[in-house]
Amino acid sequence: MIESGQWEPKIVAFLCNWCSYAGADLAGTSRIQYPPSIRIIRVPCSGRIDPLFILASLQKGADGVLVSGCHPGECHYLTGNYSARRKFALLKSLLEHMGLEEGRVQFSWVSASEGVRFAKVVEEVTARVRALGPANKLLKKVPGGLLDVSTHP
Amino acid sequence: MSQLTHEIREAARGLLRDGKAQVVIGFEPGSLPLRSRPCFIRKEKDIERLVWSGFCETNVARYLPKRKGKVAIVAKGCDSRALVELIKENQITRDQLVIIGVPCEGMIDRRRIEAEMGHELIVEAEEKEGSLVVRTADSEKILDRKEYLFEHCKACTHPTPVVYDVLLGQPPGPQEAIDAFSDVDAFSALDREERWAYLVQETSKCIRCYACRNACPMCYCPECFVDATQPQWVGKSTGLSDTIIFHLVRAFHLAGRCVACGACEQACPMGVDIRKLNRKLQKDVIDLFHHEAGCSLDEVAPLATFRLDDPEPFMVEP
Amino acid sequence: MSKGDTKLLKKERLEGFIESLLNDHVVFGPVKKNDLRLLDRIESVNDISLDRGNTMNSAKNALFPQTERLFAYCHGEKVVEIDAPSAEGRGLVLFGVRPCDARGLLLLDKVFGGSLKDPYYCDKREKTVVIGVACDKPDPKCFCLAMGGGPCSAEGSDLLLLDLGDQYLVKAGSPKGKTLLKNKAFQKIDKEALARADLVEKEAEKSMNQAVLAQAAIGEGLEKHLETLFDDPIWDDITESCLGCGICTYLCPTCHCFDILDETGQSTGERIRIWDSCQFPLFTHQASGVNPRPSSKERFRQRIMHKLCYLPQNGNLSGCVGCGRCVTECPVNLDIREVIQKISAREAK
Repeated sequence: MIESGQWEPKIVAFLCNWCSYAGADLAGTSRIQYPPSIRIIRVPCSGRIDPLFILASLQKGADGVLVSGCHPGECHYLTGNYSARRKFALLKSLLEHMGLEEGRVQFSWVSASEGVRFAKVVEEVTARVRALGPANKLLKKVPGGLLDVSTHP
Repeated sequence: MSQLTHEIREAARGLLRDGKAQVVIGFEPGSLPLRSRPCFIRKEKDIERLVWSGFCETNVARYLPKRKGKVAIVAKGCDSRALVELIKENQITRDQLVIIGVPCEGMIDRRRIEAEMGHELIVEAEEKEGSLVVRTADSEKILDRKEYLFEHCKACTHPTPVVYDVLLGQPPGPQEAIDAFSDVDAFSALDREERWAYLVQETSKCIRCYACRNACPMCYCPECFVDATQPQWVGKSTGLSDTIIFHLVRAFHLAGRCVACGACEQACPMGVDIRKLNRKLQKDVIDLFHHEAGCSLDEVAPLATFRLDDPEPFMVEP
Repeated sequence: MSKGDTKLLKKERLEGFIESLLNDHVVFGPVKKNDLRLLDRIESVNDISLDRGNTMNSAKNALFPQTERLFAYCHGEKVVEIDAPSAEGRGLVLFGVRPCDARGLLLLDKVFGGSLKDPYYCDKREKTVVIGVACDKPDPKCFCLAMGGGPCSAEGSDLLLLDLGDQYLVKAGSPKGKTLLKNKAFQKIDKEALARADLVEKEAEKSMNQAVLAQAAIGEGLEKHLETLFDDPIWDDITESCLGCGICTYLCPTCHCFDILDETGQSTGERIRIWDSCQFPLFTHQASGVNPRPSSKERFRQRIMHKLCYLPQNGNLSGCVGCGRCVTECPVNLDIREVIQKISAREAK
């Protein structure tokens, strides 16, 4: 239960239409409970994900980002998730190398029949992000002391 | 280096005379001490402008994307790797190019020399057998050339061009074993907050002049992502968040394509440590995908392909 | 130098003088930061570095910041609340400004403070005191003399400090400066100091790179000549290596183009002003897709024309103050002094 005033993580979840989004839908119709921390954005394929989506999410206030696609070999577009896997490996490694906390940006494979698995993924990701606290490293606060470059007080 | 100057001129002369190239892109002396700059030679009478020195730092492959006609280009190791990538990305064809390969002994960081000489007017700088003799009106210093190379030249793994039509100079000696990514490992070993603080420190210096992007041979997009307005992905101010995203995404767009030429750092007027991110990606691309940019015309770019067994150590497996 | 406008400041009193300024002003000065010298806010006298040479950024940064918030807004339930920055109380001191940068401010004054006043610039400018420091040892790259300035010129400074060894000669360059000279820190001038100052000034001018000054000399009729040569193929040669970055315009003490953008959140946002550069391809890119300056040739030529032809013609202003930053920092060593020389020597066809 969310108590008012308590911080809850906001996680943007990019889910591929054919597998992960359907899996999330299945979790819903099966009435499986999972933390209401994710805000889902449906994309045709995990290969569609541009690193700018992930970074823009963090800039605009997401505490965490989840990208989820079809299992290798099961991509609706045949190979999109393989590209996503490579891009994601590099992006996650780069972000963590420069100091972003490990656990903010996550990747999973969830198929359309894996409602239970989807709920478990969300639980795990939410737990990790909650442990890290609110994200502020890439946050762009608009307005208010944000750009902090005005040279006159 | 004067031998190489002579050889470059002769090579260029022959090419222009025989009509094998319409323009020779090389270097001429700059207007300031310790400067060389790119030049475009089209007539035999201008051949004497061409020089070679330890200050020919610009990556001239940058002038090739979408160029028409036959082009001869003076290329050091890193430049030739950029040429390989540009050919693979259909920005120029191999047939258009006559590559005049020059084995490189590393380029000298003129800003450090200027500081060393107290910012006095330098009247002469002579490269002699591993030394750099620098003279002002009333002083002279003999410096160890190797000490004053750019950091990326010190860590260079491909000083000799990987592709060329003619290779000038002396055949290179055996390459000293370089621990090419010890800098990345050292940075990784730092505490996470230290790493973030360093990134913030460096990014705060950035004035968004885009010299890094414009000097890079691999940044040739007609519309750069920073200029996109529908939607605007990255703000254009010098605000920290936007500037970090600019550098992050530019580094990411170069993943598997960056040839470690250092043109970005050389161009930056504010001394930002731009290559910090690129170096990590270079190491990852080698470790994860066994690929080094610009080494072979036959290798597919790592983000344009995949393997069924690509590593996925980061998966969420509940 | 008229005696009434000139005083002396013993070097040991400089610290006290600056401290007194820090009490009730926001002070900018040259500081060593990250292996560079930059003009930045200082909190204490110890931050200041008066080494030879200039800062990488120029005085324009203090009055015309690269990113500046014009106002912020918030959609309330019924009204939109606007939060405009209020006019500032404290005065602004720009300390250690070189004569070239001070001259640059005069051009910015005409641009932002002309018949249409820019409140963001003018608000700060009214409360600004420029305390310049003369270049008794000019940098090798400098050519201010060729551009109508000089290493010891007080033009644009309210006060100019000239290093005489154990003390500074302090010259007032404006009525504001004359008032400042009444401060107790300053002492009466004497003949010896005046003579010494004269010598220092002559030495400074003599020590400048004479070859460079000759090269950059603006001959009479350069403006007309530039107009005549507008379509000359010489521009193809001159501009071919230009990368199209913004270094020259951003570091220039007189360049002043800007863009205005809205940065929006859900119900809040702000309007900001940021520097723009005529060297960026998008600068003249029209909504139709047409770009009247499609390549670096047209853009580089535009910069030269603006500085050396249009500004002199339109406002009798020198668009270039000879600071040399664009020359040393251009990654491909495009040199405005060489351009002047080539254009001057070129015969119109």
